[in-house]
Amino acid sequence: MDGEGVARRYQVLEELGRGSFGVVYKGIDKATGETVAIKHIDLESSEDDIQEIQQEISVLSTCASSYVTQYKASFLRGHKLWIVMEYLGGGSCLDLLKSGVFNEVQIAIICRELLLGLEYLHSEGKIHRDIKAANVLLSETGKVKLADFGVAAQLTYMKSQRNTFVGTPFWMAPEVIQQAGYDFKADIWSLGISAMELAMGEPPHANLHPMKVLFHIPKNAPPRLEGKFSKEFKDFVAQCLVKDPDFRPTAKELLKHRFIRSAGKVEALQELIQRKRNADVRADQLKHPVYYQETLHTISPKDEVDEWVFDTVKSIVPRRGTVRSRKPSSVYLVEDAMRKLDLKDGPLQPNTPGTVRKATVRRQPSTASRQSSVRRHISNGSPRPSLGPKRPLQPDMSFGNSGSTMRLFRRVPSDGSNSGLLGSSPPEFANENHAPAAYHSPVEPNSKEAMLGRRLYNKALEPCLDELHAQTAASSKREALARLSDAFAYLDAVDPEGAYHLVRNLVSSISQDTRLNNIFLPQQHHPSPKSSNSNPQPSSKPANDGTQQGTVLIKGSRPSTATTLAGTPPASALSSPTKLIMSQENPHLMSHHRRRGSMLPQPVSPDGRGSPDKERERERERDRAEKDREREKLAALEAKLPGRQAVPGMEHCKALSDLLYARWTDGLRARWGVLAGS
Amino acid sequence: MSFFFGRTRARTNTVDLAKQARDHVTKLEGPQGAAKADELAKVLAQMKQVLQGTHGATEAEPNPELIYQLVTGMIEEDLLNLLAVHLHRLPFESRKDTQVIFSYVFRFRPPTGPQKPEPLALAYVVERRPQVLVELCRGYDHKESATPAGTVLREVLKNEAAAAVILFDDGDEQGSSCRGVGGINPDRPQSGRGVFWSFFDWIDKSSFEVSADAFTTFRELITKHKDLVPRYLAANFDLFFDRYNRVLVQSNSYVTKRQSIKLLGEILLDRANYNIMTAYVDRGEHLKIVMNLLRDDRKMVQYEGFHVFKVFVANPHKSVPVQKILIMNRDKLLQFLSHFLEDRTEDEQFIDEREFLIKQIRNLPPAPVPPPQR
Repeated sequence: MDGEGVARRYQVLEELGRGSFGVVYKGIDKATGETVAIKHIDLESSEDDIQEIQQEISVLSTCASSYVTQYKASFLRGHKLWIVMEYLGGGSCLDLLKSGVFNEVQIAIICRELLLGLEYLHSEGKIHRDIKAANVLLSETGKVKLADFGVAAQLTYMKSQRNTFVGTPFWMAPEVIQQAGYDFKADIWSLGISAMELAMGEPPHANLHPMKVLFHIPKNAPPRLEGKFSKEFKDFVAQCLVKDPDFRPTAKELLKHRFIRSAGKVEALQELIQRKRNADVRADQLKHPVYYQETLHTISPKDEVDEWVFDTVKSIVPRRGTVRSRKPSSVYLVEDAMRKLDLKDGPLQPNTPGTVRKATVRRQPSTASRQSSVRRHISNGSPRPSLGPKRPLQPDMSFGNSGSTMRLFRRVPSDGSNSGLLGSSPPEFANENHAPAAYHSPVEPNSKEAMLGRRLYNKALEPCLDELHAQTAASSKREALARLSDAFAYLDAVDPEGAYHLVRNLVSSISQDTRLNNIFLPQQHHPSPKSSNSNPQPSSKPANDGTQQGTVLIKGSRPSTATTLAGTPPASALSSPTKLIMSQENPHLMSHHRRRGSMLPQPVSPDGRGSPDKERERERERDRAEKDREREKLAALEAKLPGRQAVPGMEHCKALSDLLYARWTDGLRARWGVLAGS
Repeated sequence: MSFFFGRTRARTNTVDLAKQARDHVTKLEGPQGAAKADELAKVLAQMKQVLQGTHGATEAEPNPELIYQLVTGMIEEDLLNLLAVHLHRLPFESRKDTQVIFSYVFRFRPPTGPQKPEPLALAYVVERRPQVLVELCRGYDHKESATPAGTVLREVLKNEAAAAVILFDDGDEQGSSCRGVGGINPDRPQSGRGVFWSFFDWIDKSSFEVSADAFTTFRELITKHKDLVPRYLAANFDLFFDRYNRVLVQSNSYVTKRQSIKLLGEILLDRANYNIMTAYVDRGEHLKIVMNLLRDDRKMVQYEGFHVFKVFVANPHKSVPVQKILIMNRDKLLQFLSHFLEDRTEDEQFIDEREFLIKQIRNLPPAPVPPPQR
């Protein structure tokens, strides 16, 4: 119908956050003066998700409870879907956790409210399926509401069960993971995990890889709340985390639990909101609001090809525009999609060279657009926003009303985020108007080294960093990685040539140390004993997350659909078939390969001014690249063969990871439309 | 004691519920509409409880005997039809309750009788009161009733007879389903005024929520029954695809357009629709529409269009008009396809198919060759 007319009813204000499906804005309903949250979903960016979005809307629109975020309207404008929701100013519990864990009194209140919400949903035949701190929103007055029905299910029949594998691994109930058929009780388990999350700051097993968690949860005894908490609280959590759903209490039963009955009033939660605000002020984190810019336009692919650098700029206020227009929304589709990619790549992609290569290939188109965003931001006068896309792995949801987390496989990182980054940035980063440096950049690569440097960054450094980030679960490590990623992004923007020299020197230093050389550059048999000084390698340091192998191993045996494409960055594909096989059986070696792969430079084309020594090195590199390409072909072929035997006793894992893999590829396929387009 | 008391009261009530509901429903539009709506809401909630049993503290299994009474009562009072007609007038919670009631009632099989008894109410509706289903479809006339009516419909449509009732509804025409499923003449071409044909407008002209729900139901209707639908499409080929292409494929709504192109591809590639497919890809004008889709300025429309286009090109027995168009545009197409959606680098199947099409087009004869008789 007339989406334009309905849209005019709303005044769209600043951006609130980004979910996996789009951008959320604050807005005002002009008819009533009410503040609302408006989610913009770009449908052109999803392949099969229209029906899922419809499902989400239909579940939401049939909810009428003060414990559930209120749905108001939805309509189409061009290929954007607007969903209007109740505005909740307190933010999500995940945001609030950033300024510290909750105390028991607060947790009891939240749990009671959530139980009331679940009681309502369950009586309506609905299962939320993704209960976690990130999906619990607070109003400014402390009211607690369930949000994000991206994966919620509507049962048409009370006794029916579900088998679909959805949710977020850390919070998933064992029966969901085992796909044995589950019902409302799955939400109760997730509630227990969320309670622990609020108390500890992280869900149990947060240090494990999400894929590993999937095996851990059904196999092991349920997590227990330990430490100096009351008996009641511990018992409440234990009740929620009964493994057999038949013995797990219902929401109604849990409302009678002592821990819940003694809970206080929701107003007590305002403390949390205030604390977060104070922390934000202290961290000087009050960001300039990002205002909505009308970006509705018909995508014209042909034009985009011409203007690949500024693909969306035409719809945005001219670049000399105000500071506020710095973050035109569509740029973030890319960022967003990247985040989703990472979320999915994380658990599944790492270990066989075939997969790694594929992942890298997939990332390629995005590099261009992300780079374009870097440029544009900078031309707007501040280097800081240019770092925005370099934190692709976390949506800024500090104001709540996040997007949908449809099928997020990895926990949305709760930390290592804005506070850390911005707070610790050097002053010139923090100061918006400190323009000079910014206005010179970005440097257009004008020397060969610079071009190579940029290429190196786009094709090797950045994808590898993203990947590492996606594979890393621990928050401090993630933060370290994010910073490193930012630093590289900045270097690339300012001095791509520097990146070139950095890696170049790095490689030659490595090659001069026997041990490092053998590990990182094994094909290069020229141990040079003269020096043993080695540079610490920036990107391998935080990458000690070697936990994912158990599952990835099986996943690696999936038929690969990777084709050897022109422009495949060889850097990430360097691995011999022998290594491939070894890596299948020896996960530990695997991560070395991965790192090694990411450390290797691009085969460098002669730049005409190298020393004879360097010439030789280039020769060798070329040779090696040749050989590797051959091996790569072999490996691709091998990977194409239908799924290999599962390890005896691990057949169920194989089945599971096959399923996950299919979902993952489906997801990728769905997202890729956007990335490819920009 | 109180236990027995509660039980007897429930029983008397159950018998009465349908009648009460009827009284309230018919007065919804009157001066006391609001009060009646409240009372009706209570009755509907009670009916739901009888059907579902209660959960939580006072857990009670639903009693088949009570349900049987309720269902027969509803049939006697013609309550199903009344609820369907007035669905959009009911309060929010009552609409949801009504949806649940319909779902349970249409599923209910009497506890006694033959080994696998038909769902009682559904059989009655399909044979004797097809208007209930038609009225449920008309739920798409209103934003309020679209979701509950649609939910009920999609469940009911799994039953082939129910689907037939909707497909063959054609007013008072001979062979229309208006006198029950038995009166249907499946080979008589439809006038295009039956309820099924209203789906095109509901999908194209309604708000997003209604349109999306109507489309989902439409898809179910058109893809679920592999005997019924191909025959129906064959009998109404021109009418159906004319509307489909004009209203849905060329819709102004992005979602409608994209989803209907996708569904078109699914229809054509369904084995059961083989004859429909061959007839469809023989038409030059169909090919023109699809070739225009390839040039749409939205990538996902292009992409979905591609999956229809490929059927034309891959057809080994291309008709002369189709060959003509392809040959006339051979160079343009080759040029176009070689850069078509280039950035889908990870979509192997797509790349393979695109390569295949390029090869096919390149190898077309210089002039159309009449296809061998099939």
